Amino acid sequence: MSEANNKVVLSVKDLEVTFRKGRQRVSAVAGISFDLYEGETLGLVGESGCGKSTTGRALMQIVPSTGGQIFVDGDELTSLNKDEARNLRRKMQMIFQDPISSLNPRRRVKDIVAEPLDCWKLAKGAERDSIVSDLLNKVGIDPAVYGNRYARQFSGGQCQRISIARSLAMRPRLLICDEVVSALDVSIQAQILNLLEDLKKEYGLTMLFIAHDLAVVKNISDRVAVMYLGKLCEIGPSDTLYAKPAHPYTEFLLGAALEADPELEQSSATLGGEPPSPLNPPSGCRFRTRCPFATEKCAAEEPQLRDIGEGHQVACHFPLVGAHQ
Amino acid sequence: MTNNEVVINAAESVVEQPEKKAPIGIFTWICVGWLAINVLVAVLAPLLPIPDPNEMISMPGMGMSFDHLMGTDDLGRDIFGRLAWGSRISLGVGIGSMAIAFGVGGPLGMLAAYRRGKMDVIMSSVMFTFLAFPSIIAIIAVLSFWTPRSLGKIIIVIGISSIPLVYRVMRAAALSAGSKEYVTAARVQGARDRRIIFRELLPNVAPTGLSFLLFGVATVIALEGVLAFLGLSIAPDIAPSWGNMINDARQSLNNVPQNWPLIIFPSAILCLFILALNFVGDRLRSYFDVTEVKL
Amino acid sequence: MSQEINSTNQNPAGDLLVVENLTTTFQTARGALPAVGGVSFRLGANEILGVVGESGSGKTVLSRTIMGLQPRTNVEVGGSVLLDGHQIVGATDEDLRDIWGTKVAMIFQDPMTSLNPVTKIGKQIGESLQVRLGMNKAEAKARVIELLTLVGIPSPEERYDAYPTQLSGGMRQRVMIAIALACNPTLLLADEPTTGLDVTIQAQILNLLDELQLKMKMSVILVTHDLGVVATRTDRIIVMYAGRIVEMGTTKEVFRNHKMPYTRALLESTPRVSNPSHTRLQTIPGRPPNLLKLTEGCAFAPRCSRATEKCSQERPTLEPTGVDGHYFACWNPLEDQAAPVSIQTGTIKEIGEDNVRG
Repeated sequence: MSEANNKVVLSVKDLEVTFRKGRQRVSAVAGISFDLYEGETLGLVGESGCGKSTTGRALMQIVPSTGGQIFVDGDELTSLNKDEARNLRRKMQMIFQDPISSLNPRRRVKDIVAEPLDCWKLAKGAERDSIVSDLLNKVGIDPAVYGNRYARQFSGGQCQRISIARSLAMRPRLLICDEVVSALDVSIQAQILNLLEDLKKEYGLTMLFIAHDLAVVKNISDRVAVMYLGKLCEIGPSDTLYAKPAHPYTEFLLGAALEADPELEQSSATLGGEPPSPLNPPSGCRFRTRCPFATEKCAAEEPQLRDIGEGHQVACHFPLVGAHQ
Repeated sequence: MTNNEVVINAAESVVEQPEKKAPIGIFTWICVGWLAINVLVAVLAPLLPIPDPNEMISMPGMGMSFDHLMGTDDLGRDIFGRLAWGSRISLGVGIGSMAIAFGVGGPLGMLAAYRRGKMDVIMSSVMFTFLAFPSIIAIIAVLSFWTPRSLGKIIIVIGISSIPLVYRVMRAAALSAGSKEYVTAARVQGARDRRIIFRELLPNVAPTGLSFLLFGVATVIALEGVLAFLGLSIAPDIAPSWGNMINDARQSLNNVPQNWPLIIFPSAILCLFILALNFVGDRLRSYFDVTEVKL
Repeated sequence: MSQEINSTNQNPAGDLLVVENLTTTFQTARGALPAVGGVSFRLGANEILGVVGESGSGKTVLSRTIMGLQPRTNVEVGGSVLLDGHQIVGATDEDLRDIWGTKVAMIFQDPMTSLNPVTKIGKQIGESLQVRLGMNKAEAKARVIELLTLVGIPSPEERYDAYPTQLSGGMRQRVMIAIALACNPTLLLADEPTTGLDVTIQAQILNLLDELQLKMKMSVILVTHDLGVVATRTDRIIVMYAGRIVEMGTTKEVFRNHKMPYTRALLESTPRVSNPSHTRLQTIPGRPPNLLKLTEGCAFAPRCSRATEKCSQERPTLEPTGVDGHYFACWNPLEDQAAPVSIQTGTIKEIGEDNVRG
């Protein structure tokens, strides 16, 4: 844990998001809690449908949360009225997965980056221009040459750079990155990851990095949280969690990650089956239907996140030994 | 690698990608020119040395000559003069009624698409109910009773009856633009609804709107022709329109078959004008289509 | 170009697929776009060949050209693709129909768009059985259920009547595989078969492909951008850049002893689970080239740290290293590397063994 200190920037308590699907209720996020400390990057991994993106969107109030609390620097977001919430959200910014679609193709790059400044009427004229130029320089796009181009003229990697510049215009405390590199080629992905690391240092950002790619998440995160079917399975410092996973799901996930090295022996244990439908989640531990170690206790009783040392928490009745303890 | 290096690398990486669209093409320019001439003539008719459309200035049924470019009709009125003045009515109906339809239907459609929810449900059910009713019958019914017919009345009737159609097209366009991530991104930045509608949605809906506007004008001009044919447009002796000229010609052609310029010229002008509108509308749509720009 | 690659159409080695100087050029409004610019390689029986590259490298166009799946207009295909004695380039639709399914079959990245959403999956799989193999309805149904079982779909009798939308992404990909394998092809082209699937599902599908490759004795061309997939699932790989092969060889050899700076750059910019967090990634400056503006030189030269003047003037040809059919196209190749790129061998496995239930 490099620059993280003990000041909590974001605190999530029992966050729930439930969608209505016809008459049924889909609980996409089923009560998750975590803290984000100043200057750290928390990676949120899981497979599609586990609720990781919904979590990010609920934090930004793009989708309404149906339960729980979100504290940003101590202020509770969900209890505020519309204007107060809008104000508080200035401290948070989000970057999206699809770089092309997150920029309006018919607007100029300069105006896109200046959008937050214009919304909040923070800067005008020369001051606005200089802020925009500075931001574009920071993300590696020459404002003099490309500032007046339309967003549609840029490639995916460049669009993601522009999105990053836009998200930094408000000098946010917290940056939520939702699968920001998954649409990019490997070489471009590396550029963006390095850029995010540099900007995080420079702007003193706290980041929530949501992704499905385990290697990417490990690379950028100080701590990692693993989600399965709307619940947190495990949360801990990246290197510890990857080296000694305590939750069986985490271990299967890591085993399925393919390393770009033909001489590395790959884990032969693959996880069978597919995640159950969130419409009808299993009782007790949600992973028990695919877990080779599940017992009756797992069906009867829902495991709660508990500390197993070194800031490592796991929600499993029978955590893998070898991790700690 | 320091941040500076990243900047340099990225700057190198930006490959020149100036906008390269297929050229507009000479044919499109000819169409645009033709439309422009018509509009100019319509606007400037009172100032141009164009013969009075209602004055019987010469012998009836004269052929084409220098004095009468397209000859005269069976009452001795100058056909060219009548066509030029008639464009004021035809274009007036087309543009005026579309102005009403877009002025009302456009904002409503976009608002419904952006807000969704109850507002959308209520507005859309009303609009779609009207759409289900054949508007041509409504137009005919209203115009048969609302006499004396004037340019203003025709514009209002056609304009109002076109609102649901414009609403539907603009709502659909706004729905697809509104589902894009950039709208979410704008909300996250703290943009309020009005800003999102004007800055994010409108520029992306405008090309669809513009090309539909041209199709609409073309359709309404043809519709005016149909109404004139049914005798439901402005009376030809008050003011000529392309439509009622064709209707007039049809009747007189029965008596004097050699009087063909009477029907050929208004028909040709009407036809060419509508064709040009449709062609330009289609070309505009593909010209503004962002997805076609990229390979 | 080497003697071996340049050899004639005769097929002494008994190779299943011989691709020679294959070019695919699209005619666009902005000029000719050489998506595949002269590719030659051979594929033996029972071999799994990986084709890797970033977007725009021509890997997908290559696989579609090998399949004979190109539109008839605005595209020019040159060179030769000899599949088990059948020439694909210039083949008529009838010729291709004879080959498709029985000789070569393809699975695509997005199973949802390649499956017909309004037709039951049983029918979609059985279609070719009835048309191609002349089976009657009952025979076809029996074989479909056999195939569904083969690709690991649970309760195949019930799934026979399911529509594609009722299946998950992983299950749909299994259905695609069943369709591809219905007529026992000798070559399977898999174009990004696991992109978009979750890692655990990806592992299932890749294991399934491995298993079926052995069982059905077919050759597989695995086209992907994912170095992890090629590293673990292929015998040989081809690295493509700007429509050409820049390196080719056995997977181990290419990963360990790559000669082409692009291959190394690709490997070093890939984040690895085994590296500690906050490991600085190596980046390749710039972007893939614009195929409309390719120069005479090496296409990678503008991004290459080892580039010399020669690189921008003359295009390097594929040269053998002398080891295991390893070829590379570079004027300034990398020296031999003693150690493999990743040192932390077996990390995951060790943990697996450590994990005793408590």
